[in-house]
Amino acid sequence: MIELLSYQFFQNAIIGGCLIGIICSWIGLFLVLRRQVMIVDGAAHTAFGGLALGLLLGIDPFITALIIVIISILIINKMKAFTDSAIALMLAIGFSIGLIIISITRGFSIDIFSYLFGSILTISREELIIISIVTIFITIFLLLFHRELIAITFNERNARIMGIPVDLISNIFNFIIAITIILSIKIVGVILIVALITIPALISLQIKTSFNNTVIISILIGLFGIILGIFISAIYKLSTSGIIVFTLVIIYAIVYIYSKIKIIKREKL
Amino acid sequence: MKVIEVRNLNVMRDEKLVIRNANFEINKGDYVGIIGPNGGGKTTLILTILGQIPKLSGSIKLFGKDIEEFNEWEKIAFIPQDAVNFDNNFPITVKEFVSLGRLGKNKIGRRLNKEDWEEVNKTLEFMGISDIANKRIGEISIGQKQRMFLAMALVRNPELIILDEPISNVDPITQEKFYKKLSDLNYKEGKTILVVSHDLSAVFCRMNKVICVNVDVNIAEIKENTDIQGIVRKAYGEHFYFVFHRHECKGEFEK
Repeated sequence: MIELLSYQFFQNAIIGGCLIGIICSWIGLFLVLRRQVMIVDGAAHTAFGGLALGLLLGIDPFITALIIVIISILIINKMKAFTDSAIALMLAIGFSIGLIIISITRGFSIDIFSYLFGSILTISREELIIISIVTIFITIFLLLFHRELIAITFNERNARIMGIPVDLISNIFNFIIAITIILSIKIVGVILIVALITIPALISLQIKTSFNNTVIISILIGLFGIILGIFISAIYKLSTSGIIVFTLVIIYAIVYIYSKIKIIKREKL
Repeated sequence: MKVIEVRNLNVMRDEKLVIRNANFEINKGDYVGIIGPNGGGKTTLILTILGQIPKLSGSIKLFGKDIEEFNEWEKIAFIPQDAVNFDNNFPITVKEFVSLGRLGKNKIGRRLNKEDWEEVNKTLEFMGISDIANKRIGEISIGQKQRMFLAMALVRNPELIILDEPISNVDPITQEKFYKKLSDLNYKEGKTILVVSHDLSAVFCRMNKVICVNVDVNIAEIKENTDIQGIVRKAYGEHFYFVFHRHECKGEFEK
Protein backbone atom coordinates (compact mmCIF):
# COMPACT_ATOMS: atom_id res chain seq x y z
CA MET A 1 0.00 0.00 0.00
CA ILE A 2 2.86 2.38 0.92
CA GLU A 3 4.55 1.41 -2.31
CA LEU A 4 1.61 2.81 -4.26
CA LEU A 5 2.34 6.28 -2.88
CA SER A 6 5.76 6.30 -4.53
CA TYR A 7 4.16 6.27 -7.98
CA GLN A 8 3.69 9.68 -9.58
CA PHE A 9 0.31 8.76 -11.10
CA PHE A 10 -0.95 7.60 -7.71
CA GLN A 11 0.21 10.78 -6.00
CA ASN A 12 -1.54 12.84 -8.68
CA ALA A 13 -4.72 10.81 -8.19
CA ILE A 14 -4.72 11.28 -4.41
CA ILE A 15 -3.98 15.03 -4.53
CA GLY A 16 -6.38 15.72 -7.43
CA GLY A 17 -9.09 13.56 -5.83
CA CYS A 18 -8.72 15.34 -2.49
CA LEU A 19 -8.92 18.81 -4.05
CA ILE A 20 -12.05 17.90 -6.01
CA GLY A 21 -13.42 16.18 -2.92
CA ILE A 22 -13.11 19.41 -0.92
CA ILE A 23 -15.07 21.58 -3.35
CA CYS A 24 -17.66 18.92 -4.22
CA SER A 25 -18.46 18.29 -0.55
CA TRP A 26 -18.56 22.01 0.23
CA ILE A 27 -20.79 23.20 -2.61
CA GLY A 28 -22.75 19.95 -2.29
CA LEU A 29 -23.98 21.00 1.14
CA PHE A 30 -25.51 24.20 -0.26
CA LEU A 31 -27.03 22.29 -3.20
CA VAL A 32 -28.56 19.63 -0.94
CA LEU A 33 -30.06 22.29 1.33
CA ARG A 34 -31.43 24.17 -1.69
CA ARG A 35 -32.87 20.90 -3.06
CA GLN A 36 -30.88 21.53 -6.25
CA VAL A 37 -28.64 18.49 -6.55
CA MET A 38 -30.41 17.25 -9.66
CA ILE A 39 -29.25 20.40 -11.45
CA VAL A 40 -25.76 18.91 -11.16
CA ASP A 41 -26.94 15.61 -12.62
CA GLY A 42 -28.68 17.30 -15.54
CA ALA A 43 -25.77 19.65 -16.23
CA ALA A 44 -23.21 16.82 -15.92
CA HIS A 45 -25.05 14.79 -18.54
CA THR A 46 -25.06 17.77 -20.91
CA ALA A 47 -21.27 17.84 -20.35
CA PHE A 48 -21.21 14.47 -22.11
CA GLY A 49 -22.56 16.12 -25.27
CA GLY A 50 -20.03 18.95 -24.85
CA LEU A 51 -17.13 16.52 -24.50
CA ALA A 52 -18.17 14.62 -27.61
CA LEU A 53 -18.55 17.91 -29.51
CA GLY A 54 -15.04 18.98 -28.48
CA LEU A 55 -13.55 15.69 -29.64
CA LEU A 56 -15.42 15.99 -32.94
CA LEU A 57 -14.24 19.56 -33.57
CA GLY A 58 -10.70 18.90 -32.38
CA ILE A 59 -11.03 21.43 -29.53
CA ASP A 60 -10.13 20.67 -25.93
CA PRO A 61 -13.29 18.72 -24.94
CA PHE A 62 -13.27 20.20 -21.42
CA ILE A 63 -13.67 23.71 -22.85
CA THR A 64 -16.69 22.76 -24.99
CA ALA A 65 -18.11 20.81 -22.06
CA LEU A 66 -17.70 23.83 -19.73
CA ILE A 67 -19.52 26.10 -22.18
CA ILE A 68 -22.36 23.60 -22.64
CA VAL A 69 -22.68 23.04 -18.87
CA ILE A 70 -22.83 26.80 -18.17
CA ILE A 71 -25.54 27.21 -20.84
CA SER A 72 -27.54 24.30 -19.43
CA ILE A 73 -27.36 25.67 -15.86
CA LEU A 74 -28.52 29.07 -17.14
CA ILE A 75 -31.47 27.46 -18.95
CA ILE A 76 -32.40 25.33 -15.91
CA ASN A 77 -32.34 28.43 -13.68
CA LYS A 78 -34.40 30.41 -16.21
CA MET A 79 -37.10 27.74 -16.21
CA LYS A 80 -37.44 28.05 -12.41
CA ALA A 81 -41.12 27.10 -12.32
CA PHE A 82 -40.36 23.83 -14.13
CA THR A 83 -36.91 22.99 -12.76
CA ASP A 84 -37.33 19.20 -12.80
CA SER A 85 -38.64 19.26 -16.38
CA ALA A 86 -35.80 21.59 -17.40
CA ILE A 87 -33.24 19.19 -15.88
CA ALA A 88 -34.77 16.22 -17.70
CA LEU A 89 -34.77 18.21 -20.94
CA MET A 90 -31.13 19.27 -20.62
CA LEU A 91 -30.07 15.77 -19.64
CA ALA A 92 -31.80 14.27 -22.67
CA ILE A 93 -30.47 16.89 -25.09
CA GLY A 94 -26.87 16.62 -23.84
CA PHE A 95 -26.78 12.87 -23.83
CA SER A 96 -28.48 12.46 -27.19
CA ILE A 97 -26.07 14.92 -28.82
CA GLY A 98 -23.18 12.91 -27.37
CA LEU A 99 -24.60 9.62 -28.67
CA ILE A 100 -25.22 11.06 -32.16
CA ILE A 101 -21.65 12.38 -32.38
CA ILE A 102 -20.24 9.03 -31.21
CA SER A 103 -22.29 7.16 -33.80
CA ILE A 104 -21.12 9.58 -36.54
CA THR A 105 -17.40 9.33 -35.73
CA ARG A 106 -17.02 5.87 -34.18
CA GLY A 107 -13.44 6.89 -33.44
CA PHE A 108 -13.20 8.04 -29.86
CA SER A 109 -15.29 5.59 -27.91
CA ILE A 110 -12.43 4.87 -25.44
CA ASP A 111 -12.05 8.57 -24.57
CA ILE A 112 -15.80 8.91 -24.13
CA PHE A 113 -15.86 5.84 -21.89
CA SER A 114 -13.28 7.45 -19.57
CA TYR A 115 -15.37 10.63 -19.42
CA LEU A 116 -18.47 8.67 -18.54
CA PHE A 117 -16.88 6.75 -15.68
CA GLY A 118 -13.82 8.84 -14.78
CA SER A 119 -10.12 8.08 -14.98
CA ILE A 120 -8.60 9.49 -11.82
CA LEU A 121 -5.40 7.44 -12.18
CA THR A 122 -4.56 9.26 -15.42
CA ILE A 123 -4.48 12.80 -13.96
CA SER A 124 -1.39 14.54 -15.38
CA ARG A 125 0.86 17.11 -13.67
CA GLU A 126 -0.62 19.88 -15.84
CA GLU A 127 -4.17 18.85 -14.96
CA LEU A 128 -3.21 18.75 -11.29
CA ILE A 129 -1.89 22.33 -11.50
CA ILE A 130 -5.16 23.50 -13.10
CA ILE A 131 -7.22 21.66 -10.47
CA SER A 132 -5.12 23.22 -7.69
CA ILE A 133 -5.47 26.79 -8.98
CA VAL A 134 -9.23 26.43 -9.53
CA THR A 135 -9.67 24.87 -6.07
CA ILE A 136 -7.85 27.81 -4.46
CA PHE A 137 -10.12 30.33 -6.22
CA ILE A 138 -13.29 28.41 -5.35
CA THR A 139 -12.17 28.01 -1.73
CA ILE A 140 -11.52 31.77 -1.45
CA PHE A 141 -15.00 32.50 -2.84
CA LEU A 142 -16.69 30.02 -0.51
CA LEU A 143 -14.82 31.38 2.52
CA LEU A 144 -15.49 35.03 1.64
CA PHE A 145 -19.20 34.55 0.93
CA HIS A 146 -19.86 31.77 3.44
CA ARG A 147 -22.46 33.71 5.45
CA GLU A 148 -24.07 35.26 2.38
CA LEU A 149 -24.47 31.78 0.87
CA ILE A 150 -26.07 30.51 4.09
CA ALA A 151 -28.50 33.46 4.10
CA ILE A 152 -29.40 32.93 0.42
CA THR A 153 -29.82 29.18 0.97
CA PHE A 154 -32.06 29.74 4.01
CA ASN A 155 -34.36 32.34 2.43
CA GLU A 156 -33.51 33.98 -0.89
CA ARG A 157 -36.10 36.74 -0.67
CA ASN A 158 -35.08 37.72 2.84
CA ALA A 159 -31.44 37.76 1.76
CA ARG A 160 -32.37 40.26 -0.96
CA ILE A 161 -34.16 42.48 1.56
CA MET A 162 -31.05 42.34 3.76
CA GLY A 163 -29.19 43.95 0.87
CA ILE A 164 -27.20 40.89 -0.16
CA PRO A 165 -26.49 40.92 -3.94
CA VAL A 166 -28.25 37.58 -4.41
CA ASP A 167 -28.08 37.53 -8.23
CA LEU A 168 -24.34 38.26 -8.35
CA ILE A 169 -23.45 35.66 -5.73
CA SER A 170 -25.82 33.07 -7.24
CA ASN A 171 -24.36 33.57 -10.72
CA ILE A 172 -20.81 33.12 -9.44
CA PHE A 173 -21.98 30.06 -7.50
CA ASN A 174 -23.55 28.60 -10.67
CA PHE A 175 -20.27 29.18 -12.53
CA ILE A 176 -18.47 27.33 -9.72
CA ILE A 177 -20.92 24.43 -10.06
CA ALA A 178 -20.12 24.26 -13.79
CA ILE A 179 -16.35 24.25 -13.18
CA THR A 180 -16.69 21.67 -10.41
CA ILE A 181 -18.66 19.40 -12.74
CA ILE A 182 -15.98 19.65 -15.42
CA LEU A 183 -13.13 18.97 -12.97
CA SER A 184 -15.04 16.06 -11.42
CA ILE A 185 -15.45 14.33 -14.78
CA LYS A 186 -11.83 13.21 -14.49
CA ILE A 187 -12.41 11.82 -10.98
CA VAL A 188 -15.71 9.95 -11.12
CA GLY A 189 -17.05 10.62 -14.62
CA VAL A 190 -20.26 12.24 -15.83
CA ILE A 191 -22.61 9.63 -14.42
CA LEU A 192 -21.43 9.56 -10.80
CA ILE A 193 -20.65 13.27 -10.20
CA VAL A 194 -23.98 13.79 -8.50
CA ALA A 195 -23.02 11.16 -5.91
CA LEU A 196 -19.74 12.93 -5.07
CA ILE A 197 -21.65 16.17 -4.54
CA THR A 198 -24.61 14.73 -2.65
CA ILE A 199 -23.45 11.92 -0.38
CA PRO A 200 -20.85 13.73 1.83
CA ALA A 201 -23.41 16.50 2.44
CA LEU A 202 -26.16 14.00 3.27
CA ILE A 203 -23.85 12.22 5.72
CA SER A 204 -22.82 15.46 7.44
CA LEU A 205 -26.47 16.49 7.79
CA GLN A 206 -27.11 13.32 9.83
CA ILE A 207 -24.64 14.54 12.46
CA LYS A 208 -26.92 17.51 13.37
CA THR A 209 -24.41 20.13 14.42
CA SER A 210 -23.66 23.79 13.56
CA PHE A 211 -23.31 24.97 9.95
CA ASN A 212 -19.55 25.42 10.18
CA ASN A 213 -19.10 21.96 11.67
CA THR A 214 -21.42 20.48 9.02
CA VAL A 215 -19.22 21.96 6.27
CA ILE A 216 -16.06 20.57 7.91
CA ILE A 217 -17.61 17.11 8.41
CA SER A 218 -18.88 17.07 4.82
CA ILE A 219 -15.38 17.86 3.51
CA LEU A 220 -13.67 15.30 5.78
CA ILE A 221 -16.11 12.58 4.71
CA GLY A 222 -15.63 13.48 1.04
CA LEU A 223 -11.85 13.25 1.47
CA PHE A 224 -12.06 10.00 3.42
CA GLY A 225 -14.31 8.39 0.80
CA ILE A 226 -12.09 9.46 -2.07
CA ILE A 227 -8.77 8.42 -0.47
CA LEU A 228 -10.14 5.08 0.74
CA GLY A 229 -11.83 4.51 -2.63
CA ILE A 230 -8.62 5.15 -4.57
CA PHE A 231 -6.60 2.81 -2.36
CA ILE A 232 -9.18 -0.01 -2.46
CA SER A 233 -9.60 0.27 -6.22
CA ALA A 234 -5.83 0.29 -6.77
CA ILE A 235 -5.22 -2.71 -4.48
CA TYR A 236 -8.08 -4.82 -5.81
CA LYS A 237 -7.92 -3.44 -9.38
CA LEU A 238 -11.55 -2.32 -9.39
CA SER A 239 -13.29 0.69 -10.97
CA THR A 240 -12.05 3.73 -8.98
CA SER A 241 -15.15 5.88 -9.47
CA GLY A 242 -17.43 2.99 -8.57
CA ILE A 243 -15.47 2.19 -5.41
CA ILE A 244 -15.31 5.89 -4.34
CA VAL A 245 -19.07 6.25 -4.63
CA PHE A 246 -19.74 2.86 -3.06
CA THR A 247 -17.45 3.72 -0.11
CA LEU A 248 -19.42 6.94 0.45
CA VAL A 249 -22.71 5.03 0.25
CA ILE A 250 -21.47 2.56 2.88
CA ILE A 251 -20.47 5.46 5.18
CA TYR A 252 -23.89 7.03 4.61
CA ALA A 253 -25.66 3.80 5.51
CA ILE A 254 -23.59 3.39 8.71
CA VAL A 255 -24.15 7.00 9.84
CA TYR A 256 -27.87 6.84 8.95
CA ILE A 257 -28.42 3.63 10.93
CA TYR A 258 -26.38 4.99 13.85
CA SER A 259 -28.38 8.25 13.96
CA LYS A 260 -31.70 6.34 13.83
CA ILE A 261 -30.61 4.06 16.69
CA LYS A 262 -29.63 7.17 18.67
CA ILE A 263 -33.07 8.70 18.10
CA ILE A 264 -34.86 5.48 19.13
CA LYS A 265 -32.68 5.26 22.30
CA ARG A 266 -33.42 8.91 23.15
CA GLU A 267 -37.16 8.38 22.67
CA LYS A 268 -37.09 5.35 24.97
CA LEU A 269 -35.47 7.36 27.80
CA MET B 1 -38.71 62.36 9.74
CA LYS B 2 -40.59 60.30 7.16
CA VAL B 3 -39.48 56.69 7.14
CA ILE B 4 -41.99 55.45 4.54
CA GLU B 5 -43.88 57.62 2.07
CA VAL B 6 -46.37 56.00 -0.30
CA ARG B 7 -48.13 58.05 -2.97
CA ASN B 8 -50.86 56.89 -5.38
CA LEU B 9 -49.59 53.32 -5.24
CA ASN B 10 -51.27 50.70 -7.41
CA VAL B 11 -50.13 47.10 -7.51
CA MET B 12 -51.30 44.41 -9.87
CA ARG B 13 -50.80 40.65 -9.42
CA ASP B 14 -52.03 37.98 -11.84
CA GLU B 15 -53.83 40.69 -13.85
CA LYS B 16 -55.79 41.75 -10.74
CA LEU B 17 -55.50 45.07 -8.93
CA VAL B 18 -54.53 44.11 -5.36
CA ILE B 19 -53.54 47.55 -4.00
CA ARG B 20 -55.58 50.54 -5.16
CA ASN B 21 -54.35 54.10 -4.87
CA ALA B 22 -52.58 53.79 -1.53
CA ASN B 23 -51.43 57.01 0.14
CA PHE B 24 -49.81 57.09 3.58
CA GLU B 25 -46.78 58.14 5.57
CA ILE B 26 -44.97 56.44 8.42
CA ASN B 27 -42.83 58.64 10.62
CA LYS B 28 -39.84 57.80 12.77
CA GLY B 29 -40.95 56.21 16.02
CA ASP B 30 -44.36 55.12 14.72
CA TYR B 31 -45.68 51.74 15.82
CA VAL B 32 -48.07 50.67 13.10
CA GLY B 33 -50.43 47.74 12.84
CA ILE B 34 -51.45 46.52 9.39
CA ILE B 35 -54.82 44.79 9.47
CA GLY B 36 -57.18 43.37 6.89
CA PRO B 37 -58.74 40.12 5.71
CA ASN B 38 -56.72 37.24 4.27
CA GLY B 39 -55.96 37.94 0.62
CA GLY B 40 -56.64 41.65 1.18
CA GLY B 41 -53.13 42.64 0.09
CA LYS B 42 -51.23 43.14 3.38
CA THR B 43 -48.20 41.04 2.41
CA THR B 44 -48.27 42.43 -1.12
CA LEU B 45 -48.20 45.97 0.28
CA ILE B 46 -45.18 45.17 2.47
CA LEU B 47 -43.26 43.36 -0.22
CA THR B 48 -43.95 46.20 -2.66
CA ILE B 49 -42.67 48.72 -0.12
CA LEU B 50 -39.54 46.56 0.19
CA GLY B 51 -39.07 46.48 -3.59
CA GLN B 52 -39.78 42.77 -3.94
CA ILE B 53 -42.97 43.14 -5.99
CA PRO B 54 -43.07 45.61 -8.91
CA LYS B 55 -45.64 48.39 -8.63
CA LEU B 56 -48.01 49.31 -11.41
CA SER B 57 -47.88 53.03 -10.69
CA GLY B 58 -47.23 55.52 -7.91
CA SER B 59 -44.20 56.17 -5.79
CA ILE B 60 -42.58 54.69 -2.68
CA LYS B 61 -39.91 56.46 -0.67
CA LEU B 62 -37.86 54.83 2.07
CA PHE B 63 -35.99 57.23 4.33
CA GLY B 64 -36.61 59.97 1.76
CA LYS B 65 -35.19 58.02 -1.18
CA ASP B 66 -37.17 56.54 -4.06
CA ILE B 67 -37.36 52.76 -3.73
CA GLU B 68 -35.61 52.40 -7.10
CA GLU B 69 -32.56 54.24 -5.74
CA PHE B 70 -32.73 53.05 -2.15
CA ASN B 71 -29.71 51.02 -1.05
CA GLU B 72 -29.45 51.49 2.72
CA TRP B 73 -30.92 48.08 3.48
CA GLU B 74 -28.99 47.82 6.75
CA LYS B 75 -31.54 50.34 8.12
CA ILE B 76 -34.34 47.82 7.64
CA ALA B 77 -35.05 44.46 9.22
CA PHE B 78 -37.82 42.25 7.86
CA ILE B 79 -39.36 39.13 9.34
CA PRO B 80 -41.43 37.33 6.68
CA GLN B 81 -44.78 35.59 7.05
CA ASP B 82 -44.48 32.11 8.57
CA ALA B 83 -40.78 32.71 9.19
CA VAL B 84 -40.79 30.05 11.90
CA ASN B 85 -42.00 27.36 9.49
CA PHE B 86 -38.55 26.60 8.12
CA ASP B 87 -36.88 23.25 7.48
CA ASN B 88 -35.97 21.97 10.95
CA ASN B 89 -33.08 20.01 9.46
CA PHE B 90 -31.28 23.18 8.37
CA PRO B 91 -27.89 22.77 10.05
CA ILE B 92 -27.37 26.03 11.88
CA THR B 93 -27.23 27.09 15.52
CA VAL B 94 -29.23 29.97 16.99
CA LYS B 95 -26.06 32.04 17.39
CA GLU B 96 -24.90 31.39 13.80
CA PHE B 97 -28.38 32.29 12.57
CA VAL B 98 -28.61 35.54 14.52
CA SER B 99 -25.13 36.50 13.30
CA LEU B 100 -26.46 36.44 9.70
CA GLY B 101 -28.29 39.64 10.65
CA ARG B 102 -24.96 41.45 10.56
CA LEU B 103 -24.85 40.93 6.77
CA GLY B 104 -25.77 43.74 4.44
CA LYS B 105 -24.93 45.59 1.28
CA ASN B 106 -21.89 47.35 2.70
CA LYS B 107 -20.62 44.32 4.53
CA ILE B 108 -20.39 41.80 1.68
CA GLY B 109 -17.59 39.26 1.99
CA ARG B 110 -16.53 40.71 5.33
CA ARG B 111 -15.61 38.44 8.21
CA LEU B 112 -17.45 39.20 11.43
CA ASN B 113 -15.18 40.94 13.93
CA LYS B 114 -15.12 41.09 17.73
CA GLU B 115 -17.58 44.00 17.73
CA ASP B 116 -20.06 42.02 15.60
CA TRP B 117 -19.91 39.02 17.94
CA GLU B 118 -20.33 41.28 20.96
CA GLU B 119 -23.45 42.72 19.32
CA VAL B 120 -24.72 39.19 18.60
CA ASN B 121 -24.15 38.10 22.23
CA LYS B 122 -25.76 41.28 23.55
CA THR B 123 -28.83 40.79 21.35
CA LEU B 124 -29.17 37.12 22.32
CA GLU B 125 -29.14 38.22 25.93
CA PHE B 126 -31.62 41.06 25.30
CA MET B 127 -34.02 38.61 23.69
CA GLY B 128 -33.51 36.09 26.49
CA ILE B 129 -32.18 33.32 24.27
CA SER B 130 -28.48 33.26 25.18
CA ASP B 131 -29.04 29.92 26.96
CA ILE B 132 -30.02 28.28 23.65
CA ALA B 133 -27.34 30.04 21.55
CA ASN B 134 -25.60 26.79 20.63
CA LYS B 135 -28.76 24.80 19.98
CA ARG B 136 -29.78 24.02 16.41
CA ILE B 137 -32.65 26.16 15.16
CA GLY B 138 -34.75 23.08 14.47
CA GLU B 139 -34.59 21.99 18.10
CA ILE B 140 -36.14 25.05 19.76
CA SER B 141 -39.78 25.96 20.48
CA ILE B 142 -41.90 28.25 18.29
CA GLY B 143 -41.72 31.03 20.91
CA GLN B 144 -37.94 30.74 20.93
CA LYS B 145 -37.88 30.74 17.12
CA GLN B 146 -39.83 34.01 17.09
CA ARG B 147 -37.41 35.60 19.53
CA MET B 148 -34.53 34.29 17.41
CA PHE B 149 -35.94 35.97 14.29
CA LEU B 150 -36.46 39.18 16.22
CA ALA B 151 -32.86 38.91 17.49
CA MET B 152 -31.64 38.46 13.91
CA ALA B 153 -33.59 41.60 12.99
CA LEU B 154 -32.33 43.60 15.97
CA VAL B 155 -28.69 42.64 15.59
CA ARG B 156 -28.71 44.78 12.44
CA ASN B 157 -29.53 47.73 14.68
CA PRO B 158 -32.24 48.74 12.19
CA GLU B 159 -34.25 51.94 12.22
CA LEU B 160 -37.29 50.24 10.71
CA ILE B 161 -38.57 46.77 11.63
CA ILE B 162 -41.25 45.16 9.48
CA LEU B 163 -42.96 41.98 10.62
CA ASP B 164 -45.43 40.04 8.51
CA GLU B 165 -47.75 38.04 10.78
CA PRO B 166 -44.88 37.07 13.05
CA ILE B 167 -46.89 35.21 15.67
CA SER B 168 -49.59 33.17 14.02
CA ASN B 169 -50.27 29.74 15.56
CA VAL B 170 -48.88 30.44 19.03
CA ASP B 171 -50.49 30.53 22.44
CA PRO B 172 -51.79 33.85 23.84
CA ILE B 173 -49.04 34.09 26.49
CA THR B 174 -46.27 33.80 23.88
CA GLN B 175 -48.13 36.34 21.71
CA GLU B 176 -48.39 38.76 24.60
CA LYS B 177 -44.68 38.41 25.44
CA PHE B 178 -43.80 39.05 21.79
CA TYR B 179 -45.92 42.21 21.58
CA LYS B 180 -44.48 43.39 24.89
CA LYS B 181 -40.98 43.05 23.42
CA LEU B 182 -42.02 45.04 20.33
CA SER B 183 -43.56 47.74 22.54
CA ASP B 184 -40.30 47.99 24.47
CA LEU B 185 -38.33 48.34 21.24
CA ASN B 186 -40.65 51.10 20.06
CA TYR B 187 -41.06 52.88 23.38
CA LYS B 188 -37.58 52.56 24.86
CA GLU B 189 -35.38 52.30 21.75
CA GLY B 190 -37.39 54.48 19.40
CA LYS B 191 -37.59 51.90 16.61
CA THR B 192 -40.17 52.38 13.88
CA ILE B 193 -42.22 49.19 13.69
CA LEU B 194 -44.75 47.90 11.17
CA VAL B 195 -46.59 44.70 12.07
CA VAL B 196 -49.09 42.78 10.01
CA SER B 197 -51.42 41.33 12.60
CA HIS B 198 -54.80 39.71 13.07
CA ASP B 199 -54.66 40.48 16.78
CA LEU B 200 -56.85 43.61 16.76
CA SER B 201 -56.67 44.07 20.55
CA ALA B 202 -52.87 44.20 20.41
CA VAL B 203 -53.01 46.67 17.51
CA PHE B 204 -55.46 49.08 19.17
CA CYS B 205 -53.92 48.79 22.65
CA ARG B 206 -50.27 49.07 21.76
CA MET B 207 -49.86 50.86 18.43
CA ASN B 208 -50.25 54.50 17.47
CA LYS B 209 -51.31 53.99 13.84
CA VAL B 210 -53.30 51.42 11.95
CA ILE B 211 -53.32 50.68 8.22
CA CYS B 212 -56.40 48.86 6.92
CA VAL B 213 -55.73 46.92 3.74
CA ASN B 214 -58.44 45.38 1.65
CA VAL B 215 -57.36 46.42 -1.87
CA ASP B 216 -58.08 49.98 -0.68
CA VAL B 217 -55.61 51.22 1.88
CA ASN B 218 -56.65 53.50 4.76
CA ILE B 219 -54.47 54.83 7.53
CA ALA B 220 -55.66 56.18 10.87
CA GLU B 221 -54.08 57.38 14.08
CA ILE B 222 -55.10 55.48 17.19
CA LYS B 223 -56.13 57.92 19.92
CA GLU B 224 -58.55 57.96 22.86
CA ASN B 225 -61.47 59.08 20.69
CA THR B 226 -60.66 57.09 17.54
CA ASP B 227 -63.66 55.44 15.85
CA ILE B 228 -62.20 51.94 16.06
CA GLN B 229 -65.38 50.25 14.83
CA GLY B 230 -65.32 52.47 11.74
CA ILE B 231 -61.67 51.67 11.04
CA VAL B 232 -62.14 47.95 11.44
CA ARG B 233 -65.17 47.95 9.14
CA LYS B 234 -63.10 49.62 6.44
CA ALA B 235 -60.84 46.61 6.49
CA TYR B 236 -63.22 43.73 7.15
CA GLY B 237 -66.52 45.00 5.76
CA GLU B 238 -69.68 46.66 7.09
CA HIS B 239 -70.97 43.55 8.85
CA PHE B 240 -67.84 43.07 10.96
CA TYR B 241 -68.26 43.85 14.63
CA PHE B 242 -65.30 44.22 16.98
CA VAL B 243 -65.87 44.73 20.68
CA PHE B 244 -63.10 46.81 22.14
CA HIS B 245 -62.83 48.50 25.50
CA ARG B 246 -59.82 50.70 26.02
CA HIS B 247 -59.73 50.00 29.76
CA GLU B 248 -58.87 46.39 28.89
CA CYS B 249 -55.54 47.66 27.62
CA LYS B 250 -54.49 48.36 31.18
CA GLY B 251 -52.52 45.72 33.02
CA GLU B 252 -51.04 43.11 30.69
CA PHE B 253 -51.41 45.29 27.64
CA GLU B 254 -49.86 48.34 29.23
CA LYS B 255 -46.82 49.73 27.41
